[in-house]
Amino acid sequence: MGTAQSTTTATPRRQLRGSILRSPILGPVAALVLASTFFALATPRFLSGENFSLILQQVMVVGVLAIGQTLVIITTGIDLSNGMVMALSGVLLASFAADKGLNPWLAMLLGLVVAAGFGLLNGSLVTGIGLPAFIVTLGTMNIAYALTRIYTTSTISDLPPELTFLGDTFSVGGTQIATGTILMLALYLLTWFMMRYTASGRTVYAVGDNIEAARLAGINTSRVLRGVYTIAGLSYGVAAILQVARTGVGDPQAGQTSNLDSITAVVLGGTSLFGGRGSIVGTLIGVLIVGVFRNGLQLLGVESTYQVLITGILVIAAVSVDQLTHRRK
Amino acid sequence: MSTPAAGRVLLEMSGIGKSFPGVRALEGVTLSVREGQVHALLGENGAGKSTLIKILSGAYGRDDGEIRIDGERVDIRTPADAERLGISTIYQEFNLTPHMTIAENIFLGHLPTRSGMVDWAQVRQRSRELLETLDVHLPVDTLTGTLPVAQQQMVEIAKALNRNTRILVMDEPSAVLGERDIENLFAVVRRLQASGIGIIYISHRMKEIFELADEVTVLKDGRYVGTRKVAAVTMDELVQMMIGRELEDIYPSRRTEPGEVVLKVSHLAQDRLARDVSFELRAGEIVGFAGITGSGRTEVARVIFGADRPTAGEMELFGKPYRPRSPRDAIDRGVALVTEDRKRQGLLLKLQVFVNTTISGLDRLSRFGLLRLKDELALVNTWIANLRIKTPSPEFVVANMSGGNQQKVVLARWLSLGIKVFIMDEPTRGIDVGSKAEIYQIMADLAGQGVAIIMISSELPEVLGMSDRVLVMREGRIVKELARDEANEEVVMHHAVGHEVPAA
Repeated sequence: MGTAQSTTTATPRRQLRGSILRSPILGPVAALVLASTFFALATPRFLSGENFSLILQQVMVVGVLAIGQTLVIITTGIDLSNGMVMALSGVLLASFAADKGLNPWLAMLLGLVVAAGFGLLNGSLVTGIGLPAFIVTLGTMNIAYALTRIYTTSTISDLPPELTFLGDTFSVGGTQIATGTILMLALYLLTWFMMRYTASGRTVYAVGDNIEAARLAGINTSRVLRGVYTIAGLSYGVAAILQVARTGVGDPQAGQTSNLDSITAVVLGGTSLFGGRGSIVGTLIGVLIVGVFRNGLQLLGVESTYQVLITGILVIAAVSVDQLTHRRK
Repeated sequence: MSTPAAGRVLLEMSGIGKSFPGVRALEGVTLSVREGQVHALLGENGAGKSTLIKILSGAYGRDDGEIRIDGERVDIRTPADAERLGISTIYQEFNLTPHMTIAENIFLGHLPTRSGMVDWAQVRQRSRELLETLDVHLPVDTLTGTLPVAQQQMVEIAKALNRNTRILVMDEPSAVLGERDIENLFAVVRRLQASGIGIIYISHRMKEIFELADEVTVLKDGRYVGTRKVAAVTMDELVQMMIGRELEDIYPSRRTEPGEVVLKVSHLAQDRLARDVSFELRAGEIVGFAGITGSGRTEVARVIFGADRPTAGEMELFGKPYRPRSPRDAIDRGVALVTEDRKRQGLLLKLQVFVNTTISGLDRLSRFGLLRLKDELALVNTWIANLRIKTPSPEFVVANMSGGNQQKVVLARWLSLGIKVFIMDEPTRGIDVGSKAEIYQIMADLAGQGVAIIMISSELPEVLGMSDRVLVMREGRIVKELARDEANEEVVMHHAVGHEVPAA
């Protein structure tokens, strides 16, 4: 007794709510358009191909980190370790290529393997021992940070060209576009495709919605979670390669705030922290929202501290919307 | 037992009504309790006992009726109101904080202070006294989390006494206890009774009611059936009061010719929740599992489905050894489970109809890991039509559907896989009558196609209406097997609550 069962038939209003749920990126897209319109009116320098290309370059590292973060958050997890894993991976691949004379491509592969290994470690601890993702990744974040500092405290420079070409630009109709941004967009396309058109993508949503129901539906939930964290780790490895390419050095100080920046982008993109709901396209929009705000405020001459302040307000607003829609159910 | 001199009337609830969206949970229910009386509250699952208790304890508001204490009309809107009026409730799940000591739990929320500081000396002293009165001898600094269930229950009672309780509600207090602890509990209840506390005692076990209670009130389908003096009523009469309703004719008629043995379960055990369970299931038959909540039926179902591992026993499926290590194993061998809790275990509530329908069979809809979305949509549309699922589109989110349609989505998931053994745990819980009839028809059709069905249900009419055989479980064991023509509500209920039926 006591569980009230509402007997309902589908009314148009419910149907509408259903379709809004299905397109969770409407809100983020509206926010992006509004923000862009505002900055376009406020400063003439905003609306130019050059400036858009710049925004994309500015966001490509956090953009790739946010891919992994999105998958983890869809499964109701969270990954605090991504920035530190990226820093470790970046320092290792830079130093092996520059100082130890390893083939630059193999050095990049090494960076990817280390990052994916951290992801697998996260996933195994979450599924094997059943620890909360927050705690696990808080731990591995510190481990990765410490390992980076033990390995080196100075930046690694004089990198071979293979490590920096992703930071180079090429010209399309007079606009300079960074090669790395193409890689970022390609990865978004790939992830979008995976989430939409593969059985694996489907199971990620199922596990995020209700892990016990997913298990009872025959899904190997541990394998799904380990896979998600490992793929997330891989994306941090790619982010490390982009980070090194963009700055031209292996920097042990990199990624200090990347975990929070990536979470910000994911949340702004409409992915629910309660799991099961969210989209990779939304995250790309979220990444762009942050990028547009930072860039626009910069053009308006607003101090960077205030940019951070505004980002903070944006995050709380986005999570509030998520919380309120969640509570109504 | 002999009724002590009946005290003054403490509590009177009359004309109590309560609705939830789409459900009339209580209607015109009356209950009155005297000082020093043990008043049993009896009824099948879903009869409204819990709702009534929750209204009394302030967890729910009532829609109709009035509550009087000492003849005065009172308004109970919150648990704090109930506490102020001297009403305490001990639920089956205790309200103790495991990381706090016995004394801290007893005084939780009521810590006495002296000049702004907690008066710990008084807390310990008073806790010790309370435990003494219950004949419990434990250091009051013990963490409650480390205590066995029976002693935790005593701490709950001490907590209630500390709040000057005059009316104590106990919701199936014996359900969690072993034989010896039950004796202890009874002794405590009698002591409380002697001190003038009025006790409302909910139990499924007839034996306890006759041993402990002075009066018994029976509820059925949210309505008041009657109140009897225990000394002047027979068990048969009470069972009749609990179940005496008309069988509505919503069960499809069908002819069964059970085929080969599909599933053979031998001496299966799961911790202490299921013990020495053996039975056979044949193709095309529907076997009903009856029993009260907690009798081990769900545990058996989960083991067969691979959701839990058995602690002992063997199973065979189509003559071959069957040891599912996960639900996936079971599904791949043609076994499905419709879970008892649809919303928490059955459905992916925030996801769409099509996702929920195909989630267990994605491998069949993929090629090289890629989903064939067109085939998927066609499959989902077929099942929406077959089962007459009311949904505006396959992309509708299941959380927004009615219970009956949600359950049909669950059925569609399994039917689309061509399941051979179907375990249905409370398949019509929380579903309107129309959808119920449809689900019965689906079950009958499946059996007709040779699918073997296990139906676990706490609704006796449904068990009797649908089953070819009824297995009755009690305390983890199958205590009786009844053929269709032997089974009636009385016999099943008697076995379920643990009372031998007089030869009829």
